[in-house]
Amino acid sequence: MSFSELIQSLLDDTTRSLAHFGPELWLCGTILALLLMRLFGWDRLVPPYIVATAGTLVGFGITYFDFLNLEAAGEAEHLFTGLLVYDRFTIFFRLFLTLFLVFVIALTVLTGIPDREDGPDFYTLLLGSVVGMMLMVSANHLLILFLGVEMASVPSYAMVGFLKGRRLSSEAALKFVVYGAGAAGVMLYGVSLLSGLLGTANLPEMAARLNLVVTGEAGMADATVRTIVLSLMLVFVGLAFKLSLVPFHFWCPDAFHGASAEVAGFLSVASKAAAFALLVRLAIAFLGQDPVAWAGVNLSLGIAVGVVAAVTATFGNLAAYAQSNMKRLLAYSTIAHAGYMLMAVAAMMIIRHGGAMAVFSEAEARSEAQRAIGGLLFYLWVYLFMNLGAFAIVAMIRNRIFSEEIDDYAGLVNQCPWLCVCMLLCLFSLVGMPPLGGFFGKWYIFASLFQAGKVHWSMWAVLGIAGLNTVFSLFYYVRVLKAMFIAPRPEGARRADIPWIEGAYAGILSLSVLALGCAPLLVNSVSRKAREVAGVLLIP
Amino acid sequence: MLDWIWILLTAAWLLPLLGFAVEVFGGYWQQSRRDRTPALIAVACIGAGFVLSVAAFIIWGSETHWGVFAAEPEHGDVPAQQAVEDTTREAAAEDASELQPADAGQQHSYRKAISGTIYTLARFGDLKLSIDYYVDSLTLVMFMMVTLIATCIHIFALGYMSDELTDEYVDHQAHTAGGDHVHRPGRYYLFFSYMSLFCFSMLGLVLAGNIFQVFIFWELVGICSYLLIGFYVERHSASTAANKAFIMNRVGDFGFLIGLMVIWTYFGTFSLGPETIGDETRPGIFAMVRNAEGGLDIRNESGSPVVHLNGSVAEADDAGAADGEAAVTAERTIPYWLLVVAGLGVFAGCIGKSAQFPLQTWLPDAMEGPTPVSALVHSATMVAAGVYLAGRFYPVFTPDVLLVMSYVGCITLFLAATIAVVATDIKRVLAYSTISQLGYMMLGIGVAGWAAGLFHLITHAFFKSLMFLCSGSVIIGCHHEQEMPRMGGLRRKMPITAYTMLVGVIAISGLAIPFTILGMKLAFSGYHSKDAIVATALAFNYKNPVHFLLFLVPLVTAGITAFYMFRLWFYTFCGEPRDRHIYDHAHESPRVMTLPLIVLAVFAAGVAVGGEGGPLYRMLLASEPAGVDVGSEAIDPTVAFIPEDVGYALVGQPARAEIHSVHAQAGAFALIAAAAGAVLAFLLYVVRVVDPGEIKRQVGGLYRFLIEKWHFDTLYDVAFVRPVHRVAAALAWFDRVVIDGILHWFANTSVRIASWDRKVDEGLVDGLVNLVGNVTFRVGRSLRAVQTGQLRQYIMFIALGVLSLFVLQFIFFPR
Repeated sequence: MSFSELIQSLLDDTTRSLAHFGPELWLCGTILALLLMRLFGWDRLVPPYIVATAGTLVGFGITYFDFLNLEAAGEAEHLFTGLLVYDRFTIFFRLFLTLFLVFVIALTVLTGIPDREDGPDFYTLLLGSVVGMMLMVSANHLLILFLGVEMASVPSYAMVGFLKGRRLSSEAALKFVVYGAGAAGVMLYGVSLLSGLLGTANLPEMAARLNLVVTGEAGMADATVRTIVLSLMLVFVGLAFKLSLVPFHFWCPDAFHGASAEVAGFLSVASKAAAFALLVRLAIAFLGQDPVAWAGVNLSLGIAVGVVAAVTATFGNLAAYAQSNMKRLLAYSTIAHAGYMLMAVAAMMIIRHGGAMAVFSEAEARSEAQRAIGGLLFYLWVYLFMNLGAFAIVAMIRNRIFSEEIDDYAGLVNQCPWLCVCMLLCLFSLVGMPPLGGFFGKWYIFASLFQAGKVHWSMWAVLGIAGLNTVFSLFYYVRVLKAMFIAPRPEGARRADIPWIEGAYAGILSLSVLALGCAPLLVNSVSRKAREVAGVLLIP
Repeated sequence: MLDWIWILLTAAWLLPLLGFAVEVFGGYWQQSRRDRTPALIAVACIGAGFVLSVAAFIIWGSETHWGVFAAEPEHGDVPAQQAVEDTTREAAAEDASELQPADAGQQHSYRKAISGTIYTLARFGDLKLSIDYYVDSLTLVMFMMVTLIATCIHIFALGYMSDELTDEYVDHQAHTAGGDHVHRPGRYYLFFSYMSLFCFSMLGLVLAGNIFQVFIFWELVGICSYLLIGFYVERHSASTAANKAFIMNRVGDFGFLIGLMVIWTYFGTFSLGPETIGDETRPGIFAMVRNAEGGLDIRNESGSPVVHLNGSVAEADDAGAADGEAAVTAERTIPYWLLVVAGLGVFAGCIGKSAQFPLQTWLPDAMEGPTPVSALVHSATMVAAGVYLAGRFYPVFTPDVLLVMSYVGCITLFLAATIAVVATDIKRVLAYSTISQLGYMMLGIGVAGWAAGLFHLITHAFFKSLMFLCSGSVIIGCHHEQEMPRMGGLRRKMPITAYTMLVGVIAISGLAIPFTILGMKLAFSGYHSKDAIVATALAFNYKNPVHFLLFLVPLVTAGITAFYMFRLWFYTFCGEPRDRHIYDHAHESPRVMTLPLIVLAVFAAGVAVGGEGGPLYRMLLASEPAGVDVGSEAIDPTVAFIPEDVGYALVGQPARAEIHSVHAQAGAFALIAAAAGAVLAFLLYVVRVVDPGEIKRQVGGLYRFLIEKWHFDTLYDVAFVRPVHRVAAALAWFDRVVIDGILHWFANTSVRIASWDRKVDEGLVDGLVNLVGNVTFRVGRSLRAVQTGQLRQYIMFIALGVLSLFVLQFIFFPR
């Protein structure tokens, strides 16, 4: 291949890839526009949030257009010489992230964080973080994996510390940075080991080579295999940091406590969704190649993930008991929910193993695994609305009573009844009460766990723990509601009069939660779509 | 164009419903109770209904080329109608569709009912529940009559009810527990909204195209009647009367329901006219039970008579075409006795609604309602609905049922008339007179004077509503005094009321000048209709001499009627005032009230103009079921039952020609009786040849018997009310002592068990739960200790975490 041919093929590849890179490009353009505005002082003329909103809406529009043609996106397409992969899964998560971004920007506009002066900076960070997450969800290469995680994280550090001058905030940002650096180091270590051992960093190629090693003469006894598994674990630690899984969760309560509620809401949903997308891709890429040969690894890793999930959920729920600050409480709740969602991944791995062990037929195993991932995706959608709703309401109330302590919420129902009802819907959905969306999310995941339990009993144990956790979680959520609805408002407490526009925002979110539980057609179509999307990953 | 008829009538029917909705809500929400708007809306709705009805009538007339008025009246030797029937019968016998000329069909199109479905509510297999319409000339006449009278009465009520136009109405006849008068907000709007609801229900009843729909509206008019009788709900008498009316009607409706069940079971349809289900068109009830000649298809099967229903014969025109295979395959039958049961059941409903013997006692009490209600609901329309249904459902009634109907009518008309003679409350006299006249109508229909009965229904509606409104005017003029002995001489104070009332009195009495001027008899409407009934009864009597009472009693009662009506008029309007105070304060009513009186007086006098050759009678005759005009002969089935015979009856029914032949004779009898009654009243109450009080004393026993209304209320009290009370008391005792005792025992036992359970629960279960709760909470608190906030510790935890994962891997990794 001559140099010019190489250039030509690169050029072709790039132009082809750029066509599928629209939303990211558009967001990057928006970032540029914001920075230029700042540079030339145009932000005095046009409020930065308008630019940010417009850019995000266009990005969302492009993604939505892709999403409408979801069927057309057939086989996975590799972009930029195989760095990224473009498939239905990518589209699905791009849609998720851009929609979420729209909601978050709307929330920041409503609650007035950031102020006009800091607007361009804040939205630059926010959009940059989302671009990083979008890279994560379409990563097909260890390099992009690392870059994506870092690109998502670094702006988050700054956003956590965005409330300049608040000691708590700065401290939280510092902790977050250092902790993130530690986790990134571990992950980078894993990445370099993996790519060094297998001679490539492209995920499908790595998986193929790994397969060669495993099915080779030495088989599982090969020391390389063990090293590879260990390095996979190191990469997992990097993702566990993003997912705030126990024992890599320590940054989470402090960061959430220090950050503003808007940022906390953003981090809790978006980075989690992107990290889950990445985890699912990794898990399927590495473990899906030859389930029979990998049987033992699949099982042990699956159980390990299940155990981590169970521990995370239990820890998150129990630790939430003693919290008096609403954001800390929600941070622990976030940890717990990461645990629930991780169970879906564990269930998927075990079910794949079950397919190899002939507990399920090939087709059954695939459809059950598809269900597990579909359940995870459904859960993420519900989680978007309920968690963002909870954080948004915290932010709105903070703006009125200048407090995020649960005790200060006492008797709010008399002053902003509708907002309190929205909070009730969100929190009950987080508990998983029917007929709210959270119930169906849990239902799908628990159903997959039950199926997985047919392969290995430990999944039933995990299911039991998850069920118990649901009960545990009830108490601390209800404590908040008790304060809001039952306790009397103390004399002289600040009034919380919520303008209708903010109430409408909270109402939209909580009604979405309600609709995802109460509207069977919607629930069906979302979960069917989620399963369909999950299906493309599982084509062997 | 024909479609427009039912569209207009439906609009006329639904307008009052719209009005009702607007009035009842708008009136409730309005700021002040002094607003007349609800009433004006009600008047507009029903007035528009009248206009629409007339428009529908005109369209109907022009579509049928006014054939109804063109046909020769039956004063010729051969009744025209019969001749028409003869030709159609001959045609049908050969082949209807081909031989009958097209224009002949058009000429007699006015005989044909228009029916169809407005809206299908639901379908359960074969059962179709729908809002249907069934429009023939009778429907049109009823529509015009109801809307016209209702409009007049609504206008009258604008004035009559105006004392309700206040935010604080003091009801002097109702007392609170403390003995004070009841104070309440005025309910002007409520009255008119009820009236609108009633109009909607009544028109729905008339328009109904299936018997189930009839039943629905039957109940709706019942509930309206209940609401209106109990309008002054704070008065004990009013609420009791409302309950009485409602409950007594339920007794009749029970029979109605039985009739409906029989009809549904054996006919498989509720529809009066042809019914379309899917692509299939099925005959309605009438076409099934009667053949083209109006006969029943009775056959003797396994020893008992069975009526074959013409399952495949949709209409008379199709008779020739479709009596072949379909008749064999899909012919329904009904045992004769069940057909009688069905007829009696439906008639029981009519008895209740029309206050016939033995359910007549509710109607006089219903006079507790405001007078316009008495005029509209309890004389002109709703109570006449029973007669209307009897007429509408005539084809289903077997001769036996008709005989029962005649006797019920006969008993009722005499009984009520006698009580009216002694009644002193002006409205009660009219109420008994209403019952009596309804009896005439039933009798008329029962003795095969189908058109005569309904003729009287229409004329009676006009003159009775007129008289009620006059009485209302008197009551208002005398400041709510209803006792006639305290009136007298009011003619001078309220002349319009007095002379319009006189028109009504003459009309109901059936007085006429016994010779013709310009070829027309000078007589008010009541003469013509009563004459028709009496003539039919006489013809019936000639044919069935055994049933001579059916002629004699109405004839005598015609005299009594004249007597008590003139007594009422003389008592009220003539002579010297008996109560000076009332007389001095009496005044003529305002124009809004007298105008309806004049309009109604004109109609009461002239609605039946031309008698049996006049337009009204011919309109009614156009709807007469087939076969009524030819009559029948009595056949006793127990003596000689002839299979395959169309006739089957204990009594024969007079043909129109026979009735006509005795018309003059009957008319003379009736006129003599009426004149005698009137003269007697004149002698007693104006000339005072004898003191009525003296007579009262002379025949004290009879007087008390009549004053006590033939002891019917006492009888029912003893026979039904008290036993029911006693049984209820016993049941209450049983309930209280035995059933409650058992329940209490269970309750106490479960309380005892629950208290033990509580101990277990509080001690053991709660202890466990609390233990779990405390442990988890303590664990939660201790977990907090892990989150030290020390950054270096956090970093160490990363390392430890990774290490521990490594260790776990080495332990669990498969080898």
